[in-house]
Amino acid sequence: MTDGLLVLQAAADTATAYRDFPVIGSRAAIWIAAEIHLMFAAFVLGVPIFAVVAEAIGIFGKDQRYDRLAKEFTRLLLIAYSATAIWGAVLVFLLSTLYSKFWAYLTAIFGVSMWVYVALFFVESFTLYLYYYGWDRWKYGRSKLVHLGLGILLNIWGTTVMFIADSWLTYMMTPPRDITPETSPTSIKLWHAILNHTWMPINIHRLIGNVVFGGAIVSAYASYRFLAARTDEERAHYDWMGYVGNFIAISALIVLPFAGYWLGREIYQYDQSMGITMMGGFMSWLWVIQAFLIAVLFLAGNYYLWVGMGRIPGAERYRPYTKWLLVVLVLGALVWGTPHTMIADSRELAAMGGSHHPLLGALGVMSAKNTAVNLMILSTFLSFLLYRRANIRQVVPWAKTGTRIQAGMFVIAAAIVLFFGIRGYFVEAIVRIGYSVYQVGAVLACIIFVTLIDVLMARGAQSLGAIQWGKMPPRSQYALFILAVTFTWLMGLMGFARSGIRQHWHVWQIMQDTTKYAATPALGYAAIMISTCVLIFLSLVAFIFWLGGLAEKSTFVPAVSPVEAPHVGD
Amino acid sequence: MWATNLRIIGIVLGVLALYTLIANKIPQVQSEVPKALNLSSNVTPEQLVSAGDQLFHGAGGCTACHGLGTRAPNLLTDEKGLGPIGARCGKREPGKDCKAYLYESLINPRAYVVAGYEPIMPEMGRTLSPQQLWALVAFLESQGATVDVSASDIPPAAGPAAAAASSGGGGGPGKIADGSTDPMAIIRGAGCLGCHKIGTEGGAIAPNLTHVGSRLSQALIRECILKPDTRVSKGYEKFVGVMPKTFGNMLTGAQLEALVQFLASHK
Repeated sequence: MTDGLLVLQAAADTATAYRDFPVIGSRAAIWIAAEIHLMFAAFVLGVPIFAVVAEAIGIFGKDQRYDRLAKEFTRLLLIAYSATAIWGAVLVFLLSTLYSKFWAYLTAIFGVSMWVYVALFFVESFTLYLYYYGWDRWKYGRSKLVHLGLGILLNIWGTTVMFIADSWLTYMMTPPRDITPETSPTSIKLWHAILNHTWMPINIHRLIGNVVFGGAIVSAYASYRFLAARTDEERAHYDWMGYVGNFIAISALIVLPFAGYWLGREIYQYDQSMGITMMGGFMSWLWVIQAFLIAVLFLAGNYYLWVGMGRIPGAERYRPYTKWLLVVLVLGALVWGTPHTMIADSRELAAMGGSHHPLLGALGVMSAKNTAVNLMILSTFLSFLLYRRANIRQVVPWAKTGTRIQAGMFVIAAAIVLFFGIRGYFVEAIVRIGYSVYQVGAVLACIIFVTLIDVLMARGAQSLGAIQWGKMPPRSQYALFILAVTFTWLMGLMGFARSGIRQHWHVWQIMQDTTKYAATPALGYAAIMISTCVLIFLSLVAFIFWLGGLAEKSTFVPAVSPVEAPHVGD
Repeated sequence: MWATNLRIIGIVLGVLALYTLIANKIPQVQSEVPKALNLSSNVTPEQLVSAGDQLFHGAGGCTACHGLGTRAPNLLTDEKGLGPIGARCGKREPGKDCKAYLYESLINPRAYVVAGYEPIMPEMGRTLSPQQLWALVAFLESQGATVDVSASDIPPAAGPAAAAASSGGGGGPGKIADGSTDPMAIIRGAGCLGCHKIGTEGGAIAPNLTHVGSRLSQALIRECILKPDTRVSKGYEKFVGVMPKTFGNMLTGAQLEALVQFLASHK
């Protein structure tokens, strides 16, 4: 872009394009509105996914508890939908009044998709009302399947709405390369703008992320109800609900880094400087914070499982292994959190003897980090596997062989991860990048095949005793709260990374931000904004849950024995 | 139940406070906006070098790769025994002088990828103006070669608004902050915060000026602004020569004195 155009744009902008928001400024106002809207949106898109999955398990597994669980999840959605819409409206009003020129540019390209978005949101809302209020009416036989179909439809509408909104923000990040500052927005074909470089990676990343987020919030809700429960039956119900929510959150979390890797690769392919800004430029410290948060997630998630094994007869067989899993997780977290290349002052450079620390620098590279995170994922999967088979003894004749094959798969997957991790130090970067695919492939294959074998081995298994749902110490529930807060904060942090790499551009290298807020703030300021947004969001969610409790009693039914509830996936 | 509620609130607030605290304890780096340059027709090589220096170490984003020894060749220090970029740029391509080589490397980086490195450099013409590109060329030439970029190489900036948007990279006395004697306006206009930190603002690659008045007298502060290399703070020896030596030409007398008094008052 020519200097002259930028200057002319700046001159025009100062006249009409921007307004300021009192006290906190327009950037902070937009930040808060966008982020809280996004948090609610993630919640109302993530929860229906596993509500409908839970309902399907209830139908086809003939287990009413899952059906009631799905209904209770859905009840939480009703008010959350209104909050999502309200914050969405706040965002649109703020954008159109504070950043009117930029908003006009976006609407010139995406106007039609915005109309479709509104129409779909309308349809989605009414599908939700039909889904929830029709729950007891369409409860049996074919009508129950129709009801399940409504749930699927709800997810289709919601996912489409998200895909549309994603196209706007990904266009801002990675507009097609043939579009220049001189291109008139009205001449840009809508579909061409939608199909930009990062649209589909963001779609997939958010889809998975929403499930993680929804699971975490629901498990936090369940843990609150657990702590507030007055009877053992109620406690057992919410213990189980918290477990299911956490199971879904952690399961989706395991595949989230792979989607994130794809997104990162697309960003690099689109524009190296954008990728470098993200990973090695002024945002480099952000990844150390991210590593810390992920470590908290892995540790808290595993801790919850290990504590949960205390309520499973037979789990004591596996307790000695947990300390080794903890060792792998802690070491993995330390490696993942090791900085590599970052902006350092002269004293720091002098102290390190160069741009990298002589010893720790070797752990800061992607070879080490990919190895660490893959081993952490394997360890977490092993934790879950031990939890899952804690109270059963397999009776199939090939049980011992099957267990040995499972152990072999873990060893082979870990060996592949380590082999490519070490080999990555001796090859060119372009080759090294390809190695992460082998590492990820080995871990995913291990997870899939070990699970398959485990399910087959569990057929007709002898029970060592029913799970004592509700027999959980309160500290396990606080771990779920920490998980929910950390997931929410992490979402805010990664949103800052995604948005911040545009730096001083509304639309990357096409439309420059010429306000006094154009500089991308440092991480400290971003952290204060993120914490503020998380606090507002969680306060509103708590209020919504309280309202939900006022409006209707929980779906907990004490007549059903809680100890019969199976593991997820059984 | 109240005890449980309070415990939950305490955990939520505690976790938020912990994350916020950690994020505020690490080095704070802000991504600055590259300032538009308005270089006059009688711009001097020193002014170009100064402007290029600010871009290189600041909003140009060059230091994210160059100088680390892994992602991209060192430019300001020795690269595999060949010296800094100025010492080798004229020999890289037969028949191409240093100036032409550097300019083409900026606008079309894939044309000359140094062996052992990947073609990861972005086309700088997409983010920087021709004036900024030529300022960078001048700065890179100053690393061991003769600066031969002149006003005739640089296309004029467009429009009268250019003057209003100009930075301290070029022009004569009073060009910084439009001649304002507001010390913080001068500091921002001159790009000091790209390297120095004052209070909560600024970078960390040059001495922190928050309490500079307790370390240096007014006379020494004045000397450090006009002749930056005469006194080098301990721990910053590697950065000798990085601070522009052109502030004596770019600040008015009133600006210089306002700046000196302002810094001296920071005890």
